[in-house]
Amino acid sequence: MVVCLYMKLELKKISKFFPGIKALQNVDFNLKQNSIHALLGENGAGKSTLVKILCGVYQPDEGSIFLDQQKHIISDPTSSLQLGISAIHQESVMFDELSVMENIFIGNHIVKKNRLVDWFAMEKKTKELLSNLEADIQPDEKIKDLSIAQRHIVQISRSLVHDADIVIMDEPTAALSQKEIEELYSIIRNLKKQNKSIIFISHKLDEVLEICDEFTVLRDGEVINADLISNTNKDQLITNMAGREISQIFPKKQVTIEQEILNVKNLYKKTQFKNINFNLRKKEILGFYGLVGSGRTEVMKTIFGINKFDEGELTFKNSKLKIKSPKDAIQNGIVYLSEERQNLGITGLMSVKDNINMAIMDKNSKYLILDKLKDLQNASELQEKLNIKVSYWSQLAQSLSGGNQQKTVIAKWLSTKPEIIILDEPTKGIDVRSKSAVHEFMGELVDSGMSIIMISSELPEILGMCDRVVVMYKGLIKNILDVSKTSSEEIVGIASGE
Amino acid sequence: MKNFIKNRDFILFSIIIFGVIVVGFANPYFVKPSSLSDVLTDTSILIILALSQMIVILIRAIDLSVASNLALSGMLISLLSTVYPELPVVFFIVLSCVIGTLLGVLNGVSIAILKVPFIVTTLGTLSIYRGLIYFVSDGKQVYSHEFSENFLALIHYKFLSLSFLFWVAILVFIVMYILLNHTRFGRNLYSLGGNPDAAKYIGINENKYIILAYAISGFFAGLCGYLWVARYSVASTQIAIGFELTVISACVVGGISVMGGVGTVVGCTLGALLIGLIRNALPAVDISQFWQLAISGAIILIAIIINTKTEQRKDKTIMVE
Repeated sequence: MVVCLYMKLELKKISKFFPGIKALQNVDFNLKQNSIHALLGENGAGKSTLVKILCGVYQPDEGSIFLDQQKHIISDPTSSLQLGISAIHQESVMFDELSVMENIFIGNHIVKKNRLVDWFAMEKKTKELLSNLEADIQPDEKIKDLSIAQRHIVQISRSLVHDADIVIMDEPTAALSQKEIEELYSIIRNLKKQNKSIIFISHKLDEVLEICDEFTVLRDGEVINADLISNTNKDQLITNMAGREISQIFPKKQVTIEQEILNVKNLYKKTQFKNINFNLRKKEILGFYGLVGSGRTEVMKTIFGINKFDEGELTFKNSKLKIKSPKDAIQNGIVYLSEERQNLGITGLMSVKDNINMAIMDKNSKYLILDKLKDLQNASELQEKLNIKVSYWSQLAQSLSGGNQQKTVIAKWLSTKPEIIILDEPTKGIDVRSKSAVHEFMGELVDSGMSIIMISSELPEILGMCDRVVVMYKGLIKNILDVSKTSSEEIVGIASGE
Repeated sequence: MKNFIKNRDFILFSIIIFGVIVVGFANPYFVKPSSLSDVLTDTSILIILALSQMIVILIRAIDLSVASNLALSGMLISLLSTVYPELPVVFFIVLSCVIGTLLGVLNGVSIAILKVPFIVTTLGTLSIYRGLIYFVSDGKQVYSHEFSENFLALIHYKFLSLSFLFWVAILVFIVMYILLNHTRFGRNLYSLGGNPDAAKYIGINENKYIILAYAISGFFAGLCGYLWVARYSVASTQIAIGFELTVISACVVGGISVMGGVGTVVGCTLGALLIGLIRNALPAVDISQFWQLAISGAIILIAIIINTKTEQRKDKTIMVE
């Protein structure tokens, strides 16, 4: 390992208070040059606040920031960029309707002497950047046509254009598949070689141990531990983050799998997927693994009735199933939890209670009048069961934490008393503790007689939770494997089309 | 995707040409160069206002006050010209633009600084500016004979058999094309409209851009204030009433997304031309005046339906067969 002594960035005794919350308290953070520094902590530990301070979105209430031994005040995002700090955000801060080259140069367009934008120079430079990163992306492609992995590459190119010395990556691998993650790693290592410092935020500890040089663990706004990665191990990091030991082992309940409940035969949709054949048995957890964009979500949306299919047949409990809209699916006992929790799951400006009851309003009404008592009964029953932390019933769903929002969405669908639950990346971007709660809960669901289809890009999750795994590649089912008889290498190989 | 947008402009262009041909068969007089030139003259103000409205719509806002702004600036310079007829016309034009810009900045400040939602602000100023015309004019009109000769001379000037008005529209088109496609300011408008949160992270000052966008919208409303009163040789409390809706329709027909961040200068101009054509063609083919409003409304709706249909995002191709 390179011995790096030069201290690029030092945060000294940074504190940030919000009404009623100490988001950060006396946080010291030291970032060396040529170093990949992991910033760890559970949701709400203060990582995002720290990033926002570095990006100039928030101002610290106390403490100071030293860059190259010079004290600086980062008053706004522009000055953050000027100081050479660039962030690759978790929520994609990109412009869908604009081209790749414009996204790379946005706010920083190359201009000619007459102050007009130099499109030609920008295109040339973009091609150069993208070929350096070995990315197969055209400068004039629109962002909305790119995959998530390609979007990350565009964001990385953006920080290179800004000539950033410090690149902050907020969960860059959250939505990537194994192969894309490997590619990202090599890009990150390359950045390190070019004398950059990288702040790497991730919930996946294995990758932190693999790629990072140093780490800082935050908990409840305070630094718990900061050291070299070589001086720590996974268990210690988990204990640091959670403040107690959590078993990383997936709490899969042993249940006896019963008869077939759903059979999908020759499902076909033009340009999307073909020859989709699989079945689901009662009390089974069936995994769907594949690269992002391999068609997993598209198949599930079709089964749920959001999209129509061109050919194929669905059999549900031995009778032919006709699904024209999500309403049909729900009535038949099939529900789908989208990975886009914020957009498609939670209605932020409605109360938690109304969110939970949203899908069963007509069941809870008589002569078009809503029975408020039934509503409340249903909501409180599920709130108790799922342990959703609400202060009062009319609390708006948007004020809940990510984990509790996810639970609210689950409660909404459980109220419809489903038999099949389709979970699309159910633990994406939530912390270790909430993750194991979701896993535990999945076990309870199958135990009570439901069947689960889980789309996931995390192999340990697939291997730990599922009975069988369907591996997709470019719109085709490549194989269906018994989890107890396969290995992660085999699955990754199939999913990469090898 | 670039081709696709160009393609949509091409469709719009084809519709316009097709429309001209159809109307030409019904009424050959309509396709004479002189009457087509009249249509262009008649549409010039719409083009200018649609292009400036586009800037506001790009950043996910709307300026409902343009027609009132136009009428107020027009009335103020008209009144002034009756008192000081000897002042050069350039003075009146510049003054009208300055008044319009100030009125636009008021909108911008209210929205960006006072945080009054744009729809409330411009709906308010729509009434306020219109009301001010009554106040400054005592509800009276300025008639054609009251304008000085030099005030009206420029508007009748022709070059290459195209009117002064249309040349101004062409100039505005070129300026807007360069502004939106080849300056940082213009590109930042697209990013601000496309994703305001992301724009904040790359250091775009949203408030500054809101105020500037409304200032530009106001500037051109002021310019059109002069053009309108000079062209029709009349300033009254009623001029251009309801014209803001025509302007917004032109933008929408031209493919400017009211969701922000999407739209081209060419598309917007074609949208204005199509609406101008409809307004002029319906009387030419003897359609009853009572039907004209309903028909032009229906055509606008159809254009928008076609727009949204073609705009709907196709599923990403996963599997090549």
